[in-house]
Amino acid sequence: MECHTCSPDKKQTEKSREGLERIALIGTPNVGKSVLFGLLTGKYATVSNYPGTTVEVTYGNLNIGDRRFLLVDTPGANSLIPQSEDEQVTRDILLSERPGSVVQVGDSKNLKRTLAITVQLSEMGLPVTLCLNMEDEASDRGISINIKELSNLLGVDVVSTVAPERRGLKELRAAIATGQARVPTIKVSYPERAEEYILEMSDLLPEHPPISRRALAVMLLSGDMTLRDWLTGTLEIDVVEEIEAVRSRCRREMSQPFSSVVQEAWMRTAERIVDQVMTRQRESRGSFMYRLGQATMHPVWGIPILLAVLWALYEFVGVLGADIMVGFVEETIFGEYLNPMFTYVVESFVPTDFLRSMLVGQYGIITMALTYAVGIILPITATFFIAFSVLEDSGYLPRLAIMSNRLFNIMGLSGKAVLPMVLGLGCGTMAVMTTRVLETRRDRIIATFLLALAVPCAAQLGVIMGIIGGLSGKAMAIWVGVITGLLFFTGWLASKIVRGEKSDFLLEIPPLRVPKAGNIIAKTVNRVVWYLKEAVPLFIYGTLALFFLDQINMLVVIERALSPVIVGVLDLPVEATEAFLIGFFRRDYGAAGLYALSEGGLLTPVQTMVSLVTLTLFVPCLAHFFMMIKERGMRASLIMLSIIVPTAIAVGGALNWVLRTFNIQL
Amino acid sequence: MSHVPCNPMETPSGRQGHFEDEVLESIWEMRELDGKVLYDHLKRTLEDAKAMGHKDNAERLGIMETKGLYSVEANQVRLSEAGEKRARDIIRRHRLAERLFADVLDLQNFEADACRLEHALSHESEQAICTLLGHPPRCPHGKEIPKGECCALFTRKVSPLTQRLSDTEAGKRARVMFIQGASVDRLGTMGLLPGSVVRLVQKKPAFVIEIDETTVAIDSEIAEGIYVKLV
Repeated sequence: MECHTCSPDKKQTEKSREGLERIALIGTPNVGKSVLFGLLTGKYATVSNYPGTTVEVTYGNLNIGDRRFLLVDTPGANSLIPQSEDEQVTRDILLSERPGSVVQVGDSKNLKRTLAITVQLSEMGLPVTLCLNMEDEASDRGISINIKELSNLLGVDVVSTVAPERRGLKELRAAIATGQARVPTIKVSYPERAEEYILEMSDLLPEHPPISRRALAVMLLSGDMTLRDWLTGTLEIDVVEEIEAVRSRCRREMSQPFSSVVQEAWMRTAERIVDQVMTRQRESRGSFMYRLGQATMHPVWGIPILLAVLWALYEFVGVLGADIMVGFVEETIFGEYLNPMFTYVVESFVPTDFLRSMLVGQYGIITMALTYAVGIILPITATFFIAFSVLEDSGYLPRLAIMSNRLFNIMGLSGKAVLPMVLGLGCGTMAVMTTRVLETRRDRIIATFLLALAVPCAAQLGVIMGIIGGLSGKAMAIWVGVITGLLFFTGWLASKIVRGEKSDFLLEIPPLRVPKAGNIIAKTVNRVVWYLKEAVPLFIYGTLALFFLDQINMLVVIERALSPVIVGVLDLPVEATEAFLIGFFRRDYGAAGLYALSEGGLLTPVQTMVSLVTLTLFVPCLAHFFMMIKERGMRASLIMLSIIVPTAIAVGGALNWVLRTFNIQL
Repeated sequence: MSHVPCNPMETPSGRQGHFEDEVLESIWEMRELDGKVLYDHLKRTLEDAKAMGHKDNAERLGIMETKGLYSVEANQVRLSEAGEKRARDIIRRHRLAERLFADVLDLQNFEADACRLEHALSHESEQAICTLLGHPPRCPHGKEIPKGECCALFTRKVSPLTQRLSDTEAGKRARVMFIQGASVDRLGTMGLLPGSVVRLVQKKPAFVIEIDETTVAIDSEIAEGIYVKLV
């Protein structure tokens, strides 16, 4: 296939997309789809159990020999009749991108579920190349599949792979390269009445290649509401009404929901095929990893494991990252080498005083923004993301959700919320985006609010831990107690106030696996790069803003305006205002400001305590706030902000009062 | 076709019918709570309820007794067969209406409307609502919804040995008979379908189920809607 000549003013991405045959990559979550995407295209799409992190559609160029294709990665989908936002995106990609063929990635050990999707693809009329991944896990369990026979029965090319070892990759590329993917020849037959309705419905629908009208009819009859926009856009109003009428009639007449009828038919069909090609040697239940996996979810054994994981997390991120690495990078590399060097260079070559201070002054871009961005944030973020990727890839994260389910129930959420909440300990901005995994609006709002109020991000945490570490164990206990107490209390309160349905708790638990170092590194690099792209510009803007405010002496004015609150309510020195101000641009910035103050002996222990608690609860950083607006809308975000600010100050003030009145020593 | 107005007072049920429905409902609920229904208690409840006009109460109750909807013996009220059937029907409609408002329409204050709707539903509508909601076993307050024909139709494969997954012992293997509730589709994609054999691994801190090589965690609410037979 050749690329069309594109008009010169089109963007580069569109230019490279035009004219290439598209291949959609489809599969359930947890099958290694993203790893395969990376292997096929050379580009890594973040691998995750939870679809929330791949909702953005990823394109990659697939070049095999002289054939060129555009590979489109889709969010993991358990079914092509959407039950969730991600499944809708996947289905919509098939509708709108009109791929020439599909590469379906399936889990070898879960052949029945895999084929249930192949059946749906067959009904849609899409050409398929079937890739059965994780073959090693299947054979570990004594499962073996007759690939050749399966290929015959399905009428498509089937390749067995073990993606992390690149096993089968060559065969897969060869199969794709032929460009001869075929439509599976599986025929599903539904109960008679259902078939009649399908016929009636499909007659009303327009053609929409590459998806067959039969498949669209099945979707509509199953209650899929998401096709409505497409329908009303394409058809006359009376046809749409007739479609609705058929749908209602069907729903009334059938005692069992249509969606269940079709699902059972798919599974039965899949099972028939599986019985012909799969053999099982033994019931393998004794392996170590299996028993360890069971233990991680156990009501009794799971708890010490959970505590051990949390402790390891703290040691790795909190101590190694926040303490040791930050210390080294910030103090040694920047403090002793880079900053003095830059200062010398700037003072020698840059003409005006103005520019000089902008670069290396008190609010200098190099001395403040970059030092913080690279010196403090980077080590902490990197270690956090490494740890998080390990949790993900090992399969521990959903087990964490199980163990914390009851706890989250107190806050009116389900254990699924553990993902955004734990991510919030890394970066709140990313965490807000991940609230998408929570199905209902209510849960997303509560989670977003709690993230903004009471979950401190890693960068901030690192500095805070550093400061509190210098105080006492009691101080640490107070900080943890106040923050977590507030977290549960506001969560509980929010669950009473916020209206709407709760998400139900339904999670797939993958087997426990040893994470592959290559994956971890790739994921971490991806995430760190993403983070830096977001962070460094904001650091620079923040610094510049502060710089200018300082130049026009506005800082003093703002400080004077804010000081009644800072000094009066919180009993802090006037200089702390600056930290809070900066904290709006970057939370860690603010914490670092307090760090400087406490190092300089300007804060008493009580003041340190109060300012830390208030700062932790204080506004989310700018990037985080923008993400909130994007995900929850302006109105909701502003309401949350208007609750958070007074709450933070009130809690700080109350703490201040308690500490002073009872003369508590820290 | 333009709207044909209806006058509730002129329908066969009318005021007396409405009254009877409410009384039968109260009797059913009282019986659910205490196991028995005391006549005095019933009369007091009706007097306290603002919806009932005091004057008519005694007369209307008398009509019901004459009709044979219930009998009173030693201050205890017992429903007749006819009364039982009607009470069951009205309770079913009331609780289905509540479920409809709470689940589908997502309303918070649905009691009043559910109370009005229950009198207006025809048999066909009630079956349709029940099917739409997936034959829910309980109302939003947790009280049991009496089964209707549509539920029986849906569960005709059921044998007496069927039990809820939430009542099953951990470690047991069972065959799924049918699934009620909103998550039926998502469970299906995991392979949890009528006919599949599953193993209940544990019940705390969450229900964990194995279906072939797939492991799924669910909460007790979903588990209550999965009916299985031990194998």
